[in-house]
Amino acid sequence: MRAQLSDDAALAVAGLRKSYGRVQAVRDVSFTVRRGEIVALLGPNGAGKTTTLEILEGFRARDGGMAHVLGRDPGQQSSLRELRERTGLVLQDIAVEPYLTVRETIARQAGYYPAPRGVAEVIGQVGLAGLERRKVRALSGGQKRRLDLALGLIGDPELLYLDEPTTGFDPAARRDAWDLVRHLRASGTTVLLTTHDMEEAQALADRVVLLSGGAVVAAGPPGTLGGRDAERARITFTLPDGYTTADLPLPAAALPPQAAGTGAVAVETDSPTQALYQLTDWALQNGTVLAGLTVDRPSLEDIYLELTSQGAPDGAREEATR
Amino acid sequence: MTTATVTGRPAPRRHNLGLLAHQVRYEQLSFWRNPQSAIFTFVFPVVFVIIIGALFGGVTKSSYFGGLSALQYYVPTIAVLSVLGSCYGQLAVALAARRQNGILKRVRATPLPAWAYFGGLLAHCMLVSVIDIALIVGVGRLYGVPFPSHWLAIAATLMLGAVSFCALGVAVASVISNAEAAPAVAQLVLFPLLFVSGTYMPIHSALLNRISGWLPVRPFNEALTGPFARHAGADWRHLAVLAVWGGAGAVVAVRRFRWEPGAG
Repeated sequence: MRAQLSDDAALAVAGLRKSYGRVQAVRDVSFTVRRGEIVALLGPNGAGKTTTLEILEGFRARDGGMAHVLGRDPGQQSSLRELRERTGLVLQDIAVEPYLTVRETIARQAGYYPAPRGVAEVIGQVGLAGLERRKVRALSGGQKRRLDLALGLIGDPELLYLDEPTTGFDPAARRDAWDLVRHLRASGTTVLLTTHDMEEAQALADRVVLLSGGAVVAAGPPGTLGGRDAERARITFTLPDGYTTADLPLPAAALPPQAAGTGAVAVETDSPTQALYQLTDWALQNGTVLAGLTVDRPSLEDIYLELTSQGAPDGAREEATR
Repeated sequence: MTTATVTGRPAPRRHNLGLLAHQVRYEQLSFWRNPQSAIFTFVFPVVFVIIIGALFGGVTKSSYFGGLSALQYYVPTIAVLSVLGSCYGQLAVALAARRQNGILKRVRATPLPAWAYFGGLLAHCMLVSVIDIALIVGVGRLYGVPFPSHWLAIAATLMLGAVSFCALGVAVASVISNAEAAPAVAQLVLFPLLFVSGTYMPIHSALLNRISGWLPVRPFNEALTGPFARHAGADWRHLAVLAVWGGAGAVVAVRRFRWEPGAG
């Protein structure tokens, strides 16, 4: 099995399946993470992100398919200790013993690894400098999350799993965490993270694996996901008073009022330069203006909503709007 | 150098004993950092001995206490009680709580092997028990209970009792699923057992003694009272019963223990 993996793959899954009772949480998921790459598993709650991650982490047994992490099978108990030594895990829920200090908590964990990073170094990296002697119970939620991050890093992992790492962070802390993850990649660490935050996926990931209803619905760099770069551009503006869409030189569709204000229309086109010229020319000829004129391509969010609404059952879709 | 470390780590693993010592050290640290639990653990048995001393201090050797003075009877049973408190009760409650709030899953996310985690807990519980017993024997001495002379038999009995009740504590923590219920369940099992086993008062019913003789607490009481007060050696029959209970607890613990919170 190992032979079919390319040498630069830190992690690979193929045809991964997992059911809880009659619910198929993961069905036929395949993707690869190359060494030194940041890959985001993106998707709404219930899409199968955490289940996939937990199979890779060795917390859950898979029902079928192949999983390889750093050349080992995470489903085998005998691989687990070595895998744990070479990977770092930041789990979704914050859970740390309340009575130890920040330094003690990290130093304890450092003792579990053969070649840990320096405790002070990691404290500085996650932005907890100055709080070394503070008891964990006195930390804020965001500070505890940073401590979690420190615990994931202390073993100097080759591969780091981050399960929704910045949930509960304020915008500044989130940006710091992103910088830290980028810094880790620069030093060669491979990162697999889950998130339902598109901004995070876009800001961090080299590649995004979009999951919905337990299946991969799209995969690729965030800029081209779901053919986003090849999608038609959309020109929107408010229809001038006294005109209808039939008067326009190009076919246009009225937008729903809540989307872009009353009277707004959109023109979808493969050649926005020419379309824009035709529209503005038409407006000048008629002595009017195109109020609120914008040109854009579908955002990652548009793609995300479009793709996840196809594959996902209604329940999962609802949760996605959380 | 950064991306080149593809396979295998050159750094050797820590020695097993070093890992265990590391774990015990931090268990101790967590324990002493929670002053309420620490004080309760040590004050409770001491207060108990003082109360018994105040109530029965004048009762000399009597047939009611099986030919012992009241305090000679109570010092070993309270010693057993304190071992039960730290090895069985507190361990079950602490494990259930750690599982519920996700700390056990965190432990599972590190390379720390399960044996080292439980070894650390066991050593911690035994350390606490040793301090407890030293306090109890010390206070008992103030009431005129002579220091016991068969230390080897006492140490062996305590060691076996502590290991067995730790195993039972882990077993109870494995069977109950939610942390709120843990103290109640642990006490519910223990309290009647303590009563029929003669911890609070000598039992003079032959039938009850025969039944409780097959349950874990009375054999522990008897096995400890021997070398404590009667100057006998190790009490093999009672120790065997205790060991069987410990073994049964260990089997349940190994089969049923879960690291992750969750239903059922």
